[in-house]
Amino acid sequence: MNPIVEGLESLLDPVVGLGLLLGLLLGMLVGAFPGITATMAVALASGFTLTLEPVQGLAVLLTIYVAANFGDRVPSILVNTPGTPASIATTLDGYPMAKQGRAGLALVISAMASAIGILASMILFTAAAIPIARLALQFGPSEMFALVVFGLTVMISISSKSILKGVLAGALGLALATIGRDPITGDQRFTFGFDALSGGLDFIAIIIGLFGIAELFDQLLTHHAAKVRPISSLGRWWPTKAEYRQSGRALGVGTATGLVVGVIPAAGGDIAGLIGWDRAKRVSKNPEAFGTGSIEGVTASDSASSATLGGSLTTTMALGIPGDSVMAVMIGSMIIWGIQPGPSLFANRPELVVSITAIMVIATLASLLISLVRMKGMVKLLDVPVHYLWATILMFCIVGTYATTNNIITVVVMLVAGVVGLILKRTGFPAGPVVLGLLLGPLAESNLRRALLIDGPVGLVSSPISAVLLALAVFAIALPLVGRARAARRARRSDGDDGPAEHPGDDSSLRSTTTSKGL
Amino acid sequence: MLSSRNNVVRALTVTATAALVIAGLGACSSDADGGGGDASSFPEGDINFIVQAAAGGGSDLTSRALSAELEGILGTSIVVENRPGASGSTAMQYVADQEADGYTIGFAPVEVSMLEHLGFDVLPENYDFLGQVMFSPGVIAVPADSPYDSLDDLVEASQDEAITVANAGAGSIWEAATLGLAEESGADLTPVPFDGGAPAVAAALGGQVDAVVAGAGETVQANADGTLKILALFNDEVHPMLEDVPTAESEGYDLMFGGWGGIYAPTGLPDDVKQALSDAIAEAAESDSFSDAITPSGALPTYKTPEEFTSFVESESERFAGLLGGN
Repeated sequence: MNPIVEGLESLLDPVVGLGLLLGLLLGMLVGAFPGITATMAVALASGFTLTLEPVQGLAVLLTIYVAANFGDRVPSILVNTPGTPASIATTLDGYPMAKQGRAGLALVISAMASAIGILASMILFTAAAIPIARLALQFGPSEMFALVVFGLTVMISISSKSILKGVLAGALGLALATIGRDPITGDQRFTFGFDALSGGLDFIAIIIGLFGIAELFDQLLTHHAAKVRPISSLGRWWPTKAEYRQSGRALGVGTATGLVVGVIPAAGGDIAGLIGWDRAKRVSKNPEAFGTGSIEGVTASDSASSATLGGSLTTTMALGIPGDSVMAVMIGSMIIWGIQPGPSLFANRPELVVSITAIMVIATLASLLISLVRMKGMVKLLDVPVHYLWATILMFCIVGTYATTNNIITVVVMLVAGVVGLILKRTGFPAGPVVLGLLLGPLAESNLRRALLIDGPVGLVSSPISAVLLALAVFAIALPLVGRARAARRARRSDGDDGPAEHPGDDSSLRSTTTSKGL
Repeated sequence: MLSSRNNVVRALTVTATAALVIAGLGACSSDADGGGGDASSFPEGDINFIVQAAAGGGSDLTSRALSAELEGILGTSIVVENRPGASGSTAMQYVADQEADGYTIGFAPVEVSMLEHLGFDVLPENYDFLGQVMFSPGVIAVPADSPYDSLDDLVEASQDEAITVANAGAGSIWEAATLGLAEESGADLTPVPFDGGAPAVAAALGGQVDAVVAGAGETVQANADGTLKILALFNDEVHPMLEDVPTAESEGYDLMFGGWGGIYAPTGLPDDVKQALSDAIAEAAESDSFSDAITPSGALPTYKTPEEFTSFVESESERFAGLLGGN
């Protein structure tokens, strides 16, 4: 029988339909619950799905994976708390939009961008999974190091109001990232003899603290203000024609970034979202709007982080190498079902590959539909009086963070990160670069040292991929600096009163300034 | 207004349901009521089973498969609780600190004999070992286009230029195995630690390193697909999934390295509780359904009695002291 027909036919099973529904519900919920990630949900669900047929089980697991990628955007936009690390970049423009009373629009744009990102990546998966996966293997330690260095240049654009403050915040993130065990020798660094610190600071606890808890503390401390409700109105839901046109370029850039980053093992939606946001800002006609509630910003970050899903699936299915932590769990389940992911999967079980693709596409479309239909109800949550709302969010953050390790120290780390985030916010330091440093620092260090162990310093530039990426990184740092200097000179020459570099309103201002003054 | 209020109520209901579902998902963290009571009627309540790794990995899989068997044998609920972090030391210290009443047991991975030598506060003497249940042997593999076709080729080539060997991380069992291979064979090997087993295998597939030391299960498929050549298995008998791969022993190197796992409890269990638990573990470990659950991932069901397992952990600890003692 034709594998396409056979693969699609296996989806007609009513259990598959139920699995999709269950996955959809669970995925949306765990995604929206800060701290609880798709990985945890898939791991726990896999205990139950093992008794099902493979296609039925995959329907549950893959749908959780996809739906969580929609659910996690909701708290990012509404309360500045990334539901999972993949939606970190969504907070950059999504939350400012919500504060301006455009939450509805942000949620719709975000869901559409996510859906387009995933669908584009599934097209790539269907068309060329095996050759792309082979290409992904070219990414060794030196290439990975070069990519991460390029990623670190995003720091400049997230902090464009004051490059100095942004870079200092980034340095703080890089410094915090050194806590734990040395990645190569295993020696202890800054652990002060506590075994609990030897695994480093828990990344999820830190991002929830720096974004969500810091915002919450900020709101609590500004209760004297006339109105502290985080979001005053939801505004309209559907983008205008002009807004669709405006986000087209950001969508293209974001999706392309996500497709590339997605196939690289060890680089996921969190990194892709930040790089995609930065790329889109650089090609945008309105770069100054980025970070202040730009539709393009939301489009770029969400299409980029979502477009990594197909890439992860590609390396997982075509190489047997998990593209991210959800896929690692998925491989475990598949092996127990007697399915060995790898190039032979495409030759021996083409109908299964068709089923997987179809499940991903259906899950994406269903998630998009639910997002658009149900969001109005979800957003009504914000009508809850503010003192109940923030207390509930705090409780959710604590429970979610505790669930990541079942260890109260992780909750303490989150709360301390919240206090640090509040101090940063009140002193005008952006939190984005701290997270970027924390995310990329360990990748940069460990890959650099692996590259040096393998080939010595020559390896870093002898590989064409890493040489190109390093050159791009140099340009990414140099061009804005040159541009800035030139603009400043022009401003002085024209004796103008609006030198762009000096005016926050003209430059992309920080989230922290909009959040404390936005209302 | 009314409809908006209804919406709020509905939204709150949805959230409450969400919280319940998620609380249900996280049931692995719920506390069991492990009240001591009369030991002769053990067990009287739920037993907490602590896993040092996150849900979804090999340790978690083994633990959940074994717990499912133990529940039937002991006639009580076993609550599997994941306490990942800090190379597993968090969970190990937690187990050591619990009351020795049999209501807290845990998965004892190979790291329990290694962490002391890596500077962690984890000592094997703080535990009562109740039996080994599995062994997952390691292999050394090279990219398909590698010039080396045997372990001897690789050892010989290393005399001219050091061979880079990827492993799952600093202080991991596969790094220790690489060091053990270098010591036993006199080969000049440079261990390159990656962040987990999968990226290490990927580096070998992509040809960035000369070889990789990893679990048999992690390399079986690549070997079958012809993208990786497994040179030798670090066990004394041939692996059923890798019938053509010679053991290191048959190649002239006396090497046994792998991720083993068993069950432990805080030290000082009452004798009858210890007996009840270890009998149940023996039965569970030798059941077909446990074996069926763990073999697809390359693990070998391997049972050792509490006495054998205790002395095995001691000898492993001494061996790792020699290999990892530098730290």
